Amino acid sequence: MSEPSIFFSEVNRRQGDFNRRAFLLGGITGLGLTALGGRLALLQVVEAQRYEKLADSNQFNFRMVPPPRGRVLDRNGVVLASNRPNFRLMVAREKDSDVEAVVKNLCELVPIPEAKIPRLIRDIKRAPAKAPVPVMEDLSWEEFSRINVRSPELPGVTADMAEVRVYPFGGAFAHVIGYVAKVNDRDIKAIRAKGQTPDPLLYNPGFRIGRQGVEKAFDLDLRGKPGGKKVEVDAQGRVVAEDPGGDIPPTPGKEIVLTLDADVQQRALEVFGEESGAAVVMDCRTGDILCMASAPAFDANLFVRGLTTSEYRALADYERNPLLDKALSGTYPPGSTFKPTTALALLAAGVDPKERVHCGGSYRFGNTTFRCWKADGHGAQDMHDAIKNSCDVYFYHLCNRAGIDRIHDTAVKLGFGQVFDIGIPGQSHGIVPSTDWKKKAYKDPRQKVWQKGETLSVAIGQGALTVNALQMCVAASRIANGRKALEPRLIRSIGGVAQPSGAAVPDLPIPKDHLDTVRAGMAAVANDVSGGAYRQSQLGLGDVLMAGKTGTAQVRQLRGAKSRKNAGLPWKLKDHNLFIAFAPYDAPRYALAIIVQHGGVSGALAAAPKAREIMRTVLLKDPEIRARIEKPLPLPEVEPEAEVEGAAPDAPADVGAAPPPLESGPLVPQPDQPLVGAPER
Amino acid sequence: MSISALSRPGERDRPLMKFLEIDWVFCLLLCMVAGAGGLIMYSVAGGSWGPWAAAHFVRFGLFFLLMIALSMVDLRVWFFVAYPVYVIGLILLVGVELAGDVSKGAQRWLSIGPVRFQPSEVMKIGIVLALARFYHGLTADSAHMSWWLLVPLAMIGAPVLLVAHQPDLGTAILIGATGVAIMVLAGLSWRLIIAGMVAVAAALPPFIFFVLHDYQRKRILTFLNPEADPSGDGYHILQSKIALGSGGFLGKGLGLGTQSQLNYLPEKHTDFIFAALSEELGFVGSTAVLLLYAGIIFIALRIASSSHSHFGRLGSAGVTATFALYVLINGAMVMGMAPVVGVPMPLLSYGGTVMLTVMIGFGLVLSTRVHRYSEVTSGRGSLL
Repeated sequence: MSEPSIFFSEVNRRQGDFNRRAFLLGGITGLGLTALGGRLALLQVVEAQRYEKLADSNQFNFRMVPPPRGRVLDRNGVVLASNRPNFRLMVAREKDSDVEAVVKNLCELVPIPEAKIPRLIRDIKRAPAKAPVPVMEDLSWEEFSRINVRSPELPGVTADMAEVRVYPFGGAFAHVIGYVAKVNDRDIKAIRAKGQTPDPLLYNPGFRIGRQGVEKAFDLDLRGKPGGKKVEVDAQGRVVAEDPGGDIPPTPGKEIVLTLDADVQQRALEVFGEESGAAVVMDCRTGDILCMASAPAFDANLFVRGLTTSEYRALADYERNPLLDKALSGTYPPGSTFKPTTALALLAAGVDPKERVHCGGSYRFGNTTFRCWKADGHGAQDMHDAIKNSCDVYFYHLCNRAGIDRIHDTAVKLGFGQVFDIGIPGQSHGIVPSTDWKKKAYKDPRQKVWQKGETLSVAIGQGALTVNALQMCVAASRIANGRKALEPRLIRSIGGVAQPSGAAVPDLPIPKDHLDTVRAGMAAVANDVSGGAYRQSQLGLGDVLMAGKTGTAQVRQLRGAKSRKNAGLPWKLKDHNLFIAFAPYDAPRYALAIIVQHGGVSGALAAAPKAREIMRTVLLKDPEIRARIEKPLPLPEVEPEAEVEGAAPDAPADVGAAPPPLESGPLVPQPDQPLVGAPER
Repeated sequence: MSISALSRPGERDRPLMKFLEIDWVFCLLLCMVAGAGGLIMYSVAGGSWGPWAAAHFVRFGLFFLLMIALSMVDLRVWFFVAYPVYVIGLILLVGVELAGDVSKGAQRWLSIGPVRFQPSEVMKIGIVLALARFYHGLTADSAHMSWWLLVPLAMIGAPVLLVAHQPDLGTAILIGATGVAIMVLAGLSWRLIIAGMVAVAAALPPFIFFVLHDYQRKRILTFLNPEADPSGDGYHILQSKIALGSGGFLGKGLGLGTQSQLNYLPEKHTDFIFAALSEELGFVGSTAVLLLYAGIIFIALRIASSSHSHFGRLGSAGVTATFALYVLINGAMVMGMAPVVGVPMPLLSYGGTVMLTVMIGFGLVLSTRVHRYSEVTSGRGSLL
C-alpha cells in the first residue's frame, strides 16, 4: 500500500493545483486551436478567391504558339515562300541539372557536331532557367522519336515540331523576297532604339525575323499574332495536361501576293547561267513587275538555317557578288540604251528627226576627239538611223542643242534618277547628271561648272550617268506604252487587300509623235535586217515582234594605246552589256531591261539573246498573245513590211552581214577627270 | 462495469476489466485522425496506396495494438521505468553527438545494428516520465517554489541543449516546452512563471542573432516576410497558404488538389499534409480535423485529471502537452503563422518515428485511465 510520505491533504492540494492548471493549459490550447480555426476561416473563406487565382496561375500556364508566317505567292498563286514542319530539339536549364551530362547524353542519341558542343553548353548556361535553347533542327523522324522516348531521363530536353520558312525556288527570288533569320541582339536593340518594346514572339526559340526584301519590309504583316496553348504544369514546369478549351488560336500572318511570275523569273535566271547581271520585266499597261531577277543568286534557305562562316565568306567574296541585288541596288552606266532618252530630249528641244548628221567615225569637240563605235563612220544619219545603228556621232553632234538639263529632265520623266515605291527597300537612285547636280556634287568651285563636253558622254549613256535595271525597265515601258507615266508595282495584295495599280498615274508630258519616232527607231534595231540587234531579237512568234535598244558600257578608262577589245581582260574590267526592249511592237504589252555585268561583248551579243528568251516566255504565258500567235497570219500580199519593220529606205541593205557590229562609246566614269575619247580598233 | 468494481483492487487487475476500461471514444478519435491522414496520402500519391498510404495504415495498426497493450501495463511499471528511460535517452543523445549519422546537415540519427532511429524521440517520452516521477515525490510547496526546482530545470535543460546542438530546434523547443508545461501543471509559482517568461523574452533577440545557424535565422526572417522571395525561402509558406486558401469552403475534392497533385506544395505527405487536406477537403474538412484534435486533447486532459496518482496526472498531461504543441506548431507553420520548423502534424503526417512516440505516449494516457484508482508510490517494494 501507499507510503505515507506525502500526506493526504498534501495530495489533495497537488491535485487541486493540477486541475486548475490543467484547465488553464487546456483553455490555452483551446484558444490556440480556435486561433488556427480563425486563420483557416480567413484563408479558406474570406480570401479564398485570391488564393484560387494564385493556385490557377501556378497550375495553368499559357505556352506561346507562334503563328504560321504568311506565305508569299506569285501572280498565279505559285508558292514562293512558305513554311515546312521542322522537328527541333531544345534544352532548357533546370534547377541544378547538369548541362554537360545532358548534352553528352544527347550526343549519343543524335549527331551533334563535336565543334558545336562547347558553344551549346555556354548558350544553355547563359539562357534564363527553363528557357529552352534550340540545339538542333531538322531532326529525322527516327531521331525525333528517339528523343521523345528517352525524354524522362533527359531533364530539360524537349523535342517538338515547329514550322520553319522554306523557299521552294531556292535562290530565284532571294533578292526580292529576301529571307528570314534568327533574331539577334542587334534586332532587339534596333526595336528598343525606336522606343518600342520587342514583341515577346521575338524571344520564342527558333523564331525568325525578316531580314531582306519582302520578308523585311512586310515582316509585321507576315508575322501574325501568337496564340496561347493552355497547359497544366507541375512544380517542375513539366506539362501534365493540355486544356484545348482554353487555347487561344494564333492569327496567321497575312499572305502576300507579288506581281512576279515564277516561270519568267526562273527562265531569267536560267538564261543568265553563270553570268552576272539583272533582268526586269514589266507589264507596260499596269506597271506590274513580272520578273526582277539578279544573277547569280544565293539559296535563301541557307540563311534560314544560318550560314557557317565559310559559307558566308564564299558568297561574300565571290567577285560576281551574289549577295548584291543587281536589279535594284546595283547601278550601271546605261550605255547606248540611253539613246532613246537622249533622242526624246532632242525632240523636245525642237530637233527635226529628219535632220541628218554625217558620221565619219569621230567627232571633234574642243580639243578632244570623240569616237563613234564604228571607226569608219555611219555616213549620213537621221534620228531613226541613229537609233537603229546606235550612231554615237549623231548624238555627240546634237546633244548640246538639247543641253544637259533637258536630257536630265527627260530622263527623270522616264524614271531615271529616282526610286519607286514598290514596297521593298534597297533601291539605288543612280545619278542623272545636270548642272544642278554638278553644283551639289563638287566642292571645288572650278569643278562645279558643267562642261559641254560632258554632255556628249551622257548623251550616249556614259559619263557620270548611272541607272539601275528597274529604272531602265520603267523607262522602256513608259516609252512603250505611249502615254502613261507608269509606276512599277511589286506587291499585288497583302492579306487579300489589293495594292494600288501603277497605271493610276498621269500621262507622260511627252508628245505622242516624239515617242512614235523613238519607238520606230527601237523597232528597227530589232527588226530591220540592218538593225543593231536584228538577229538576236527575233522572237520566232509570228507577227509578234520585239523592239529594243542595245547598249555596251565601258567600265575601264580608255587611255593611250590600250586595246578596246575585251578578250583577255579580267572579268572585272570587261564591258557591261545592256538591252531594253518591249513587245509586241505594234501593241506594247511587256517591257524588259537586262544588264549583263561585264558580259564583255556587246549589248546585241550578250544581252539581246537573253532578253529574247525571257520575252518569249512572258509572251507565251499571256493568253491574248498566244491567241494572236496561234491565229493564222494575214495573207502576205497586202502591203506587208512597211509598217512593221519600218526599215529606213536609205539603210544599206547589208542582208546577212555576218557578225553583228560592236558598239560602244567612250567611258568617263569620273566626271572630274578630263574627257578622253580615244577609241581605237 | 462500475466504479465500485474498479475500486476493488482484485477486480480491477483482471485483464478483461482493464480492457473494458480503455477509453474507446478516445481510440476512435485517434483512428479518425490517422484515417484522414491515410486518405490524404492516398490522394496526393495520385490515388495510390503506395508509397505512403498503405505503410501509414499498417504502421498505425501496429502502433495502435502497441498502445492498447501499453494501456494494460500497470502504472507502477511506467513509474519504475521512468528514470531509466530518461537516462537511456540522455545517453543516446550523447551518443548521437559522438557517432550520429548526418542527414540533411543535421546529426539526428543513430544506427544500432540495422535499426536507425532518432534518440530525441526517446527523450520526448523520457522527459515526461522522468518529470512526472520526480514531481510525484515532491510536496506542493517544493513544486511551488524551492531549490528542488533546479532538479527538473536541469532535467529539462540537458536534453534540450543536446537536441538543439544537433541542430534540431523544433524538437528542442518541443521537449523544453513540454517540460515547462509539466512544471507549471505541478504548481510552479506564478512569480517564477512570469519571471521565466520575461527572461525568455529578453534572451530571444540575442539568441536569434548570435546562437542560431544562418539557415535557422533565415527561416525566421522568411516567416516574417514570405513574399520577399517567393521562389526561394518563402516558397514553402507561400505555396502552403495558396493550397489552404484555394481549397475554399468545401475543398477541391479528393485527388483534385492542384497544389498537392502538381507538387507545388512541398512535403505534401509529411509536414504539410494538413495543407494538402485543407486544399482537397476545404474549410469543412480542416476544421473537422482540428475538432478531432481538440477532442483528443480534451479527453486526454480529463483522463489526466481523473487519475488518483500524481505521476499519472502529470505523465498524461505531459503527453497531452507534447501532442497539443505538435498540433499548434505544425498548424501555425502550415498557415503561415510560424516559421518553418520540422514538426509534423501528429498521426496525420507520414512518418513512423513520431507516430510511435505519440502512440507510446497515448499508451501512458490510456494506462492512466485504466489504472486511475491505483496509487503509485515512490517505494520500490510496492511494485514487485
